[in-house]
Amino acid sequence: MSTIDISQPAKGDGLIKLTMLLGGVVFLLMMVFGLVMRAQQGGWLDLDPALFYQLLTAHGAGMVGSAALSGAAILWYFTGRHVPLRSGIYLAFLGLFLLGVVLILGAIFVGGYGGAWTFLFPLPALSGGAWEAWAAIGFILGYLFIGVGFLLFYLEIGIQLVKRYGGLLKALGWHYLFGGSAEDVPPPTLIAAASVLVFNTIGIVFGAAVIAASIINLIWPDFAVDPLFAKNAIYFFGHVFINATIYMAITAVYEIVPTYTGRPWKTTRLFVGAWFAVVIFVQAVYFHHLLQDVNIPAWALAVGQIVSYASGVPLIGVTMFSLALYLKGSGLKWDLPASLLVLGVVGWSIGVIPAIIDGMIAVNKLMHNTQWVPGHFHTYLLLGEVAMAFGFAAWLVRDKAQTAMSALDKLVFRAYVGGGAGFALIFLWSGASSIPRRWAVHYEAWQFQSQLATVFACVVVLATLGLVLRYVRGLLRSA
Amino acid sequence: MQTLILIVTLLVMMGVLALIMRAVLATEGPEPSANAPKTRSKVIWSMVVLGLVVSVTSLREWPHTQAGGDALVVNIESGQWWWDTDTTEIPLGQQVEFRVTTEDVNQGLGIYNSDMQLLVQVQAMPSYTNKVVYTFEEPGTYQILCMEFCGIAHHAMTYEFDVVEAGA
Repeated sequence: MSTIDISQPAKGDGLIKLTMLLGGVVFLLMMVFGLVMRAQQGGWLDLDPALFYQLLTAHGAGMVGSAALSGAAILWYFTGRHVPLRSGIYLAFLGLFLLGVVLILGAIFVGGYGGAWTFLFPLPALSGGAWEAWAAIGFILGYLFIGVGFLLFYLEIGIQLVKRYGGLLKALGWHYLFGGSAEDVPPPTLIAAASVLVFNTIGIVFGAAVIAASIINLIWPDFAVDPLFAKNAIYFFGHVFINATIYMAITAVYEIVPTYTGRPWKTTRLFVGAWFAVVIFVQAVYFHHLLQDVNIPAWALAVGQIVSYASGVPLIGVTMFSLALYLKGSGLKWDLPASLLVLGVVGWSIGVIPAIIDGMIAVNKLMHNTQWVPGHFHTYLLLGEVAMAFGFAAWLVRDKAQTAMSALDKLVFRAYVGGGAGFALIFLWSGASSIPRRWAVHYEAWQFQSQLATVFACVVVLATLGLVLRYVRGLLRSA
Repeated sequence: MQTLILIVTLLVMMGVLALIMRAVLATEGPEPSANAPKTRSKVIWSMVVLGLVVSVTSLREWPHTQAGGDALVVNIESGQWWWDTDTTEIPLGQQVEFRVTTEDVNQGLGIYNSDMQLLVQVQAMPSYTNKVVYTFEEPGTYQILCMEFCGIAHHAMTYEFDVVEAGA
């Protein structure tokens, strides 16, 4: 296994730093949208429901987009340390991504589109007068540009991995898993890169199919798609895409944490086996979004439940346990990047628990589409992927002379953890109180929880503002 | 039931948190013991066995109840942003099969009791009729709330019906 110095500057690092700045600022803005929505649900604001649902749509698409963008930047940065990647491709990816963002924002805030980031067919075409067809087309075209950008991104990584290892299966490490030699086995980051490119490419292709069908339906309303097929395709795409963001960002943990512990993250058969399982599970598990769609075959619902549970095994049994072994007795000196990266794995690992429990059909009957759902995904995104992204960003601009956490760093970190945990836990409590998700107006009996959540959201926003400002200061220092 | 689900979830989350925090708080302590790989194997196999037990136990009796021969059929139509039913009075203790559909976009039928506790739900989808079976054990007024985002009046898509004792 090759050892490389990940700190050495490389061509294209400036683009990665710019991406992390964009991602950080959008994360912050979307958190403000989230805060506004919780304040509205708490009865502290009196927004027009149309505006609330526009904010909901922007928040969902913006958060998923920022998670994808930051995850992609992390994956590109570290993959590029192992195999040559062409910066021009990344620039094209970033350009397509930003074009998509412009279309999405225009569709929402100019066109009034508020059909949620999951755009369940045929809602984009049936707004009840809230938005015109062109706004829905703009929104969906935005997804298309982002998807094309990602296909280009994965194509480049795939080409370079195949060139380096002589085939995608070897880049996945599957030959090693099934008894092959450990010689020239790819490092963890490349196994992650190969795995993500396989499942996310498949996910994006399904997404493209339903995007194309939705656009045609918007232009020619007589063209109808089977809503059940569309729902399957949307949730397959959506589930795979959002999960890919975390599986890309985890490479920051594989690469950066060893610089603190002095213990390289190794490619073992268990590690390759875990990623082999991830490639299968992340695609097979999406049925857990459809557990109340009783018109799909019972076996598919059972698969949704069983694979939902199984997905937790490689995460907790391999990723989290490995991190624990690498940390224990390592002498690691905690600073902000290390703290955020470890938090990312912790948040991800505990966040899947309510997801797994909601993945049980009997539980889902009581929790589906209640606030339990944002409860679990805010845990593993806010305290998972987003923490990893800010950890990577902080590491990118770290002051090498600073070897310990400053008092301000400690304050920001504790505020982020405390605010984020409180915010997510209130969602879980609200879900257990049967409060439905995505309601612009809450009954009075539900408002206290939303008010508490608003307070926690303020803490998270302030902490995130601190992280973004710290990153900007680091960029200026290193410029 | 929801409170129990919350408590179990929080306990498991705390268990997983404790597992990782033991290492996070021990970076200056001794290195992992030579038995660590065995411990990891035990954790993985325990998770697999627990998963099998939970899966078999929770799926042996299919969670989506099937209607008996004497079930009362109640048809529910929906659309942006309304519900309509065959009847607004349902007999207490009578198994009911709700047959739910929508004329336009996806909706979610959630049935709430007077304490605003969600009792059961099912998705409503255009071109399909979904069935959900429930037996009401308490008389009173129940509400249907929309559980699937369906546009700008999603939060206003509510409906009421009564569960009444026989002969009332």
